[in-house]
Amino acid sequence: MNPSDKILVIGSGIAGMEASLMLSKAGKKVYLVERLPLIGGNTIKTGESFPNMECSTCLVAPIQQEILQDKNIEVMTVSNVEKVSGKTGNFAVSITKKARYVNIAACLGCGMCYPVCPITQPNNWEQNLVEKKAIYVECAGSLPNVPVIDPSLCLHLNGKGECNLCAEACMFGAIDFLEVDELVEENFGAIIVATGFSTLDTQSVSQLGHGKIPGVYTAYEIERLLASNGPTEGLIVMRDGERVPQSIAILHCVGRKEVGYCSNVCCSYPARYAHFLREKVADVKIYDLYTDLCFPDKRYQKLNDETRKEKAKYIFHQGIDKLEVNEAGDMVEIKYFDEKGKQSSLKVDMLVLTMAITPSEGIEELSELLSIERDKFGFIYTPKDRIGSVSTSREGIFVAGCAEGPKDIQSSVLQGEAAVGQIMKLLNDKVER
Amino acid sequence: MSDKIGIYVCECGPNIASKVDIERILAEISNLEEFKDKELIVKKHQLLCSVGGKAFLEEEIKSNELTHLVCAACSPRDHDTTFINVCKKTQLNPYMYQIVNIREQCAWIIHDKEEATDKAIQYIRGGIDRLLYQEPLYEKQLDSNPDVLVIGGGMAGMEAALSLAGKDRRVFLIEKTDVLGGKSTVFSSLLPRQGTINSIAGRLKEIEKNPYIKVFLETELDKIVGFLGNFEIMLKGNKTGETIELLSGAVVLANGYELKDANELEDFSYSDSDNVFTALEIEEMLSKDGKITLKSGKAPKSVALVHCVGRKEAGYCSKICCNYLLKTARNIIEQSADIEIIDLHQDLCLPDKEDQAFYEEIAAKSVNFTRIKSVSLKGNTVEYTDISGSKEIINPDMVIIAPAMQAAKDNEALAELVNIDLHETGFFQEAHIKINPVSTITDGVFITGANRGPCDINDAIIQAQAASGKILTQLIPGEKIIPEVKVTEILEDYCTGCRTCLDVCAFGAIYFDDERGISVVNEAICRGCGNCVGSCPSGALRSKHFTNQQLYQQVKEALR
Repeated sequence: MNPSDKILVIGSGIAGMEASLMLSKAGKKVYLVERLPLIGGNTIKTGESFPNMECSTCLVAPIQQEILQDKNIEVMTVSNVEKVSGKTGNFAVSITKKARYVNIAACLGCGMCYPVCPITQPNNWEQNLVEKKAIYVECAGSLPNVPVIDPSLCLHLNGKGECNLCAEACMFGAIDFLEVDELVEENFGAIIVATGFSTLDTQSVSQLGHGKIPGVYTAYEIERLLASNGPTEGLIVMRDGERVPQSIAILHCVGRKEVGYCSNVCCSYPARYAHFLREKVADVKIYDLYTDLCFPDKRYQKLNDETRKEKAKYIFHQGIDKLEVNEAGDMVEIKYFDEKGKQSSLKVDMLVLTMAITPSEGIEELSELLSIERDKFGFIYTPKDRIGSVSTSREGIFVAGCAEGPKDIQSSVLQGEAAVGQIMKLLNDKVER
Repeated sequence: MSDKIGIYVCECGPNIASKVDIERILAEISNLEEFKDKELIVKKHQLLCSVGGKAFLEEEIKSNELTHLVCAACSPRDHDTTFINVCKKTQLNPYMYQIVNIREQCAWIIHDKEEATDKAIQYIRGGIDRLLYQEPLYEKQLDSNPDVLVIGGGMAGMEAALSLAGKDRRVFLIEKTDVLGGKSTVFSSLLPRQGTINSIAGRLKEIEKNPYIKVFLETELDKIVGFLGNFEIMLKGNKTGETIELLSGAVVLANGYELKDANELEDFSYSDSDNVFTALEIEEMLSKDGKITLKSGKAPKSVALVHCVGRKEAGYCSKICCNYLLKTARNIIEQSADIEIIDLHQDLCLPDKEDQAFYEEIAAKSVNFTRIKSVSLKGNTVEYTDISGSKEIINPDMVIIAPAMQAAKDNEALAELVNIDLHETGFFQEAHIKINPVSTITDGVFITGANRGPCDINDAIIQAQAASGKILTQLIPGEKIIPEVKVTEILEDYCTGCRTCLDVCAFGAIYFDDERGISVVNEAICRGCGNCVGSCPSGALRSKHFTNQQLYQQVKEALR
């Protein structure tokens, strides 16, 4: 196969998946490289998506299935790009495909292996709300539905024990302790960087009490509580696993000042939360603490107006820097300055921080090995001489989704599609056949 | 050739095998009275979807020369495609296969093993009986035309044309006015994050130079029929009345937006003699005269910038106004640092990563940013209630307003012509707002730029590139188009010509043949949704692969 007929897509979130499917349809061979053991990105962490209130898993699962069944798409999970050289039409790339220690072809995803594992570790995909074993899937419904073994913790692999329990529990002989990391070397016509985002560490806004006051949550923790495949199977309970919150305050724009930009998507969270929290906890009181509301889409404001009218109390405050959060018994007390400049106080069971979107983990190393520039915030830089471009500073390498900056699902998909458009054009124009 | 039906029961490891009695299924299905005259091959396999399972199935189909295949396994969501792909490797037509879900619908939801087994048997019987009424269906291949019609010569339309045109693909770019460029041609400058205004002029030159782009000015779409790969198009000169016929494989709509007329709003009234301008008029003034002046020609001493004009009435935020009023503020400051500026906003919506810094740059200068609850305007008199609730009246020399973006007037007519939906706001409706944002319900018709909702230049360009991506991957020069196979057909003798089906078809796949007085289905457009089948009072419509008889047999056996 001519290298220009192969495309490397780094990151399997919604932008990377959309781009991969389109390229495959055009007859390109796609290598979809994902550092995690599952595909789907951050979209599958959210319970429901805005504004249609569709279950996110239901929205994305068919796309994931299509990816996994597509013969033109080589899905490489637990994999990292190591080296890139060459130019448009022929980039030489080395990829490390880390050992999963579970044979994907043999595993059925029956889930018999992990309950028997004696080792536990925090599950950070689940925002550390639960633990997982040394052999694990991140959540129910992970795709590919195949566990992975953490070699640093597994007693069999790290040599600290004789354990063989998961292999004994597996009826399909899928556990393969002998699997080794594999170096894959391939040539590609073009590359898409779609590595998504992280969220600001709550330590940067430690005055808001996350990690110290049990009633303070991040938005992604709430997403996982709301999700039917999350740690509580969709049950809204406090950290003790029992108490049901009767009042919830949502604080917007957390970290906006620290990072220096608006994260674009957070204003739509409350309408979503209000909708689903009220379905799950009758009469729950919802408060919305905001300074600016930003709904840059034809559909978003209407839903917000309805929420404001019927479901949540919106409270304007004078800024997070003037806000105080304290533990008050079982509750959280928020002191803020209201629209008249007077200090007021609100006591709730749960305070939710909508954390700023930040560049994804590992983007620094990746951008260096791809030799592409990043902007002052750490996102991938797109040159300004072509307005609204998905090009990076290096020809043949494109960016899509939140790797370029904060954006919603729709805008991420749009960039994925745009990157494909630009690649098809570039390769048609540039590469002699 | 006599019927030879293969029935393969998947154990799915322990998933099915431990919850239903596979041996009883095999025994009972092999001895069913109603299939006595058929040759049945009934077998189990540990895992049909595995590499070994698929090879087993392929070998079974070939060596037994099966005419029908049933896989009693999991949800079609998981492995329907898997088994269809196995069929495609053999002599068996993939439409002569049926999956029966005995995992999610039996094994996983019924605790009693015998009950689950009974249900599985009923379902498999239903599957076999349905299958006996299935017919082989064959893919059709249609030639396709790679050329593209782009409607609208603004930023989105120009970008689509440039991204698409090439040696094997022509683009017909039509524009109803006499110039390309759209509203951005009057801009004096762009936002700092958008670079310089030269990049717009550069694009105009690129279009001019490109031999594969044919521009039609003062031209509009008059008529269009066809489907992805094969549209027949009639264009009409809006001054000359001349018509032009051409063919294209896809259509990109990029017809832009309009600004709401603030005078239509209850709280706003001003006349031509007042010094009230829209921000776009200020841009025009700046590009023409190089400076901002009152109607008298004098420089203003005080200016009020009013955000969100008509946002409440429109029901949505127009996304771009906060940014361009910041730009307007900067333009005024650059002209003279002595002009007093007050910025009246309810929220500041600055959604791009670089916007906040731009705001801080302007806020550091002498602009009075004032958060308000409401505002009204009479001539140059601005009355507002600030966030603390106190009412203020000011009389600045000049008022610059940011009226809401609204759908262009021609959205409605265009939607009708190309058969796509309008959102309640009047903008075009996407095929799916999240995961299919530039496609529409009509394959081959794409929406880009401000015709699908408020957006800035960057967005418009990304959307145009996205539509190009869709077209470049769906409409490859020289490649055939394979339309949906499971479509609806019309039994002409039964059609009474009532036209009910025309109303319920969401895809415009049915047209009326006046001569014969009957409805006709265009199979290249039909998606086989079955809406028309349900609506037909005389039973003239038949959904291939979902015929009444197939469904009836399946239900009958399942309920037996």
